[in-house]
Amino acid sequence: MILINVISLFLLFYLKKSSGTQEFPAQLKRYFNYGMIAAGVLIGIAIIDLPPQILFQLLSFVLVGGIVYLILFTPELESQKTMAITPLPIVGVELLKYLIETISPSIYNTLENYLNAAGFFALIWAVTMWLNHRKQMKEIEIERIFLKEQERQLKATAEQKSQLETLVAERTSEILKQKEELQDALDHLQSTQEQLIQQEKLASLGQLTAGIAHEIKNPLNFVNNFSELSVDFLEEIGEEMAKISDSKEKENILELLEDVKSNLVKIRHHGSRADSIVKSMLMHSRGGTGTMDPTDLNALIKEYSNLAFHGMRANPNPINVDIQLDLDESLPIIHLNAEDFSRVILNLVKNAFDAMRDKITALGNDYKAKIQIQTKDQGDHILIKVEDNGPGVPDEIRDKLLMPFFTTKKGTEGTGLGLSITHDIIKSHEGKLTIESKVGEFTRFSILLPKVKLGEKST
Amino acid sequence: MKILFVDDEKDVEALFRQKFRKEIKSGEIELAFAFSGKEALNVLGDENPPKFVYVFSDINMPGMSGLELLDQIKIRFPNIQVSMISAYGDSENYDRAMNSGAKGFFTKPVDFERLKKEIAEMVKNQ
Repeated sequence: MILINVISLFLLFYLKKSSGTQEFPAQLKRYFNYGMIAAGVLIGIAIIDLPPQILFQLLSFVLVGGIVYLILFTPELESQKTMAITPLPIVGVELLKYLIETISPSIYNTLENYLNAAGFFALIWAVTMWLNHRKQMKEIEIERIFLKEQERQLKATAEQKSQLETLVAERTSEILKQKEELQDALDHLQSTQEQLIQQEKLASLGQLTAGIAHEIKNPLNFVNNFSELSVDFLEEIGEEMAKISDSKEKENILELLEDVKSNLVKIRHHGSRADSIVKSMLMHSRGGTGTMDPTDLNALIKEYSNLAFHGMRANPNPINVDIQLDLDESLPIIHLNAEDFSRVILNLVKNAFDAMRDKITALGNDYKAKIQIQTKDQGDHILIKVEDNGPGVPDEIRDKLLMPFFTTKKGTEGTGLGLSITHDIIKSHEGKLTIESKVGEFTRFSILLPKVKLGEKST
Repeated sequence: MKILFVDDEKDVEALFRQKFRKEIKSGEIELAFAFSGKEALNVLGDENPPKFVYVFSDINMPGMSGLELLDQIKIRFPNIQVSMISAYGDSENYDRAMNSGAKGFFTKPVDFERLKKEIAEMVKNQ
């Protein structure tokens, strides 16, 4: 019976070892350990021939049967199934021997030779099966390692792939970013180019304006001088007429002369109006002289808001605008660079016109465009407010408004310099410019000018 | 006292004659007009020595400019006073004129009061 238990021990030992890298469940391992102990004990009992032999022999069969059962019906041992078949003939022959011996020892004696032969064949079978099984197991193992290697390679490939993908994504976003930057730079270049062209045009327009203004100035001087002279002469004529005795004809002549005189006064008046326009044209085309002269700010605002309005009306796309002036009459005369500061008023008012024109286009005639210009004496400072009820300035671009070359106007309509120059001029007057706005409702430019500038204090 | 005005605008003659009507009538001054630099030099050169005391010249004229005329007069008739009258009152023209020996510089539109004062002073010094 030692053979059966040795087989049991061997099977268990082999099974336990076969787990390899994959761990068997603890339950199964426990079975193996107990089984091995049981087999060991049974071997020991068999050696010392402890009675009752029949019971222990039966237990040996039960143990080996249990092991075979375990192999056949445990999913984890699926690959070891051939192991169950290997010892079956030996166990079968031994079981037969045991049964016959137990039931009838006499028959056993007769059949002993045959049974021994069968045992021998069963042993050969078992060894063959065992070797076969070993070979199979090795193949399976190789296949397993191969599969594992393949899996590993697959995993590595997948990892590399994902790494490459991240890299590609990174590069793509980098390239996209570069493209965007290039596009921005290109846009910037294009707008700069447009602005340069615009500035060039403006510069030549300025020269042209100056030329025209000069050409007009000469004939205008004659108009003014001759009309002035004629008024003087009429005064003289009047003095001479007094010496002539009254008559109906004299009365008629005097009446006519009075009309001529009033006509001449009108010519003189409109001539001087034209003269002041020509002068301001010349002033603008010449550029600032940089001197701060005592200036009546209210008068300057009146003149230039009016000039901006008429300029707008004379240009394409005129709009109807209600200009409300709320000027503080108590405003003192302050030192200003009138030429520069007139540009501030012109720019702010013109910007308002352009913004409100967009709103008129969008909303139609229900919208009534309105500009309020206010001055206020605030003690140390003078406040100038220019407020329109145009489309307003979104928060995102409010900070950019004062940047040179920033413009919301399409194409070549704006140079993007207006507000930037305005800001520079205000700064040169030591003033502050603040912008408040609510989209769809209003935009308010507030200028705070010190009455006395630091530069003046020191001198 | 003879005064010569030089300007390419012909109407200047009528204007100045009317403006100085009284002075001319009283014989205080005598006005002459030339419409180019060349003509002015001819007028001045016709009499030797010329009786003209004062020349008022425009600067921007076709042909010889007022400043060139000024130089010529200062070379040929150093005793004659010259003042400039120009629409371009920029410092460049002013400096150039004063450095060339001009007596005064008037900008257009002419301030006749100032001009009359200038001439009256000249008459007094005669």
